[in-house]
Amino acid sequence: MTGMLRDWRLMRNGFLLAVTLFVYLFLLGPVVVIAVASLESSMAYHFTLTPENPSLRWYFAIPGKYLHAFGVSFLVASISALIATALGAMAALGIVRGQSRGAQLLQTFFRLPLQIPLVVTGVVFLQFYYLLFDLLGVSLLGKLAGVVTAHVFITIPYNVSTVAVVLMRTGTRLDEAAESLGATPWSAFRRVTLPAMKPGLFVGLFYSFIISFGDVPVTVFLAGSGFVTLPVEIFHTLQFDWEPAVLALSTLVVLFSFALIVVVQRVVGLDLVVPQSRR
Amino acid sequence: MAAGARRPSADHADLASERSRLWRLLLWPPFVIALALLVLPQAVFVWMSFHKSLGMGLVSDFLTIENYRRVLTDPFYLHAMWMTFYLSLGATLINLALALPTAYYLARLRSRWVSYFVVLLLVSLFVTVVIKVLALYLVLGKEGMINHTLRALYLISEPVQMLNSQLGVLIGLVQYTLPLLVMLMIGVFQTIPSSLEDAAEVHGATWFSSLSRVVLPLAWPGVIAGSLIVFNMNMGAFTSAVLLGGGRVLTFPVLIHRKVILDVDYAMGATLSTVLLVFVLLVNLASVLLLRERRGSGSQRAATVHVS
Repeated sequence: MTGMLRDWRLMRNGFLLAVTLFVYLFLLGPVVVIAVASLESSMAYHFTLTPENPSLRWYFAIPGKYLHAFGVSFLVASISALIATALGAMAALGIVRGQSRGAQLLQTFFRLPLQIPLVVTGVVFLQFYYLLFDLLGVSLLGKLAGVVTAHVFITIPYNVSTVAVVLMRTGTRLDEAAESLGATPWSAFRRVTLPAMKPGLFVGLFYSFIISFGDVPVTVFLAGSGFVTLPVEIFHTLQFDWEPAVLALSTLVVLFSFALIVVVQRVVGLDLVVPQSRR
Repeated sequence: MAAGARRPSADHADLASERSRLWRLLLWPPFVIALALLVLPQAVFVWMSFHKSLGMGLVSDFLTIENYRRVLTDPFYLHAMWMTFYLSLGATLINLALALPTAYYLARLRSRWVSYFVVLLLVSLFVTVVIKVLALYLVLGKEGMINHTLRALYLISEPVQMLNSQLGVLIGLVQYTLPLLVMLMIGVFQTIPSSLEDAAEVHGATWFSSLSRVVLPLAWPGVIAGSLIVFNMNMGAFTSAVLLGGGRVLTFPVLIHRKVILDVDYAMGATLSTVLLVFVLLVNLASVLLLRERRGSGSQRAATVHVS
């Protein structure tokens, strides 16, 4: 009986592990292939498992526009993630702590952008910016403010729900305890509520950054003339003309993501980054 | 002294409702901003879709439903919508089949390896879809790794066409949304205590029945919510369709991109976008209604298992 149970457990874990390993191979295998291919110094665009003339040649030949685009992406993602997280946290506090009537409805409202196909959001903002230019003479196309506004719009949903979940779980008892022990409302917020919100804030910030940093379907309509994000720049390269240094560039971007995530893991811990974690 | 500090309960209730009112003030800035960003651009846009395109990005002054008539009667557009739908649904189902076991395994794994697994998953989530597409070229392309290997082993003489087809687009979509779905599902499984499963198994439930009668009914709302996020992302993505479809897989997002960027036909672009938006909203609404119907019976079943 117990032996059979153990066999079952083994089979079950074997199955789960097999699927998991397949998923990781599927997701990361191609990325490793890019890194290997980036070392091939000839101009050829075909895969070889071992580069014939391995060198770091392309790493020193990355055109300046990609490095500029990388800077643009980093700036856009940082600013829009901060704004979206601040707005999302305010909304979550208002909904949960304000005991707002129709809390469910409000949460649904803030989640609406997730139901709009990204390509539609892109076109919608493009036309909106045209109109703003016609009416007010304000030009947002190909500008930091324009891209950030659209990115804030698509990332707010992630922030509202992550912070709201954390707030509902913590409740108000600790705040009340702090205040009955003589804390002012502000210091109770700063020293009790804010630390309790931290996991939600981090998840929101993290996801917003990632989504903003990697977006193509929205940004492709809004970027332009000197203000192009990295994914859009690479998209144009793949669509219209081939540039061998893109492999080296992509490898660097992957290494950058990896480094950033390891830093996050060291500094705040990754259990914070899993959405709706048990904390 | 201590008695003086304790407030009478009526005062306390007043204070609490006063406090809630203050918290509610915080709601206004994000609410107004989100509403403005949602309503203003959309309104301009839907308005645009009722006009005739005059070329060069200009539209007529009069209103017309001609654009909608064209989109909704032309077999070309209807087929494009159908293809967008089944590719997105297919990618979502494949994603679920892969993400559920993976997320369950990682959520239940008690080992220091978990954090390495999660780091790698996040790297994959972080890497932008265009880099993933580039990687797929290298692996699945005519001169790619798989064809190269198969030919070196004399298993094939002609390269197998995997990209520049719907299959290529499907693989691209799975690459695009799989990491996000796994992360979301880990979150879902973590909120379900494993002690519930242990309890079910102690009482003689097999793994399968504890999964289907305890875990899945509890996970169901989260699974549906996550699947919808991923489905919507697939419906609005065109990177993999443009780059892996070889110009042959004309999904709705690809058509919208072409209309707006290449043809500068904003009226038609707006019409196609509105049709896509309405379609996606209907799918979401239908799923939510379906979920509400199932939720009653689901949680009841979970409760019975828990008690028995």
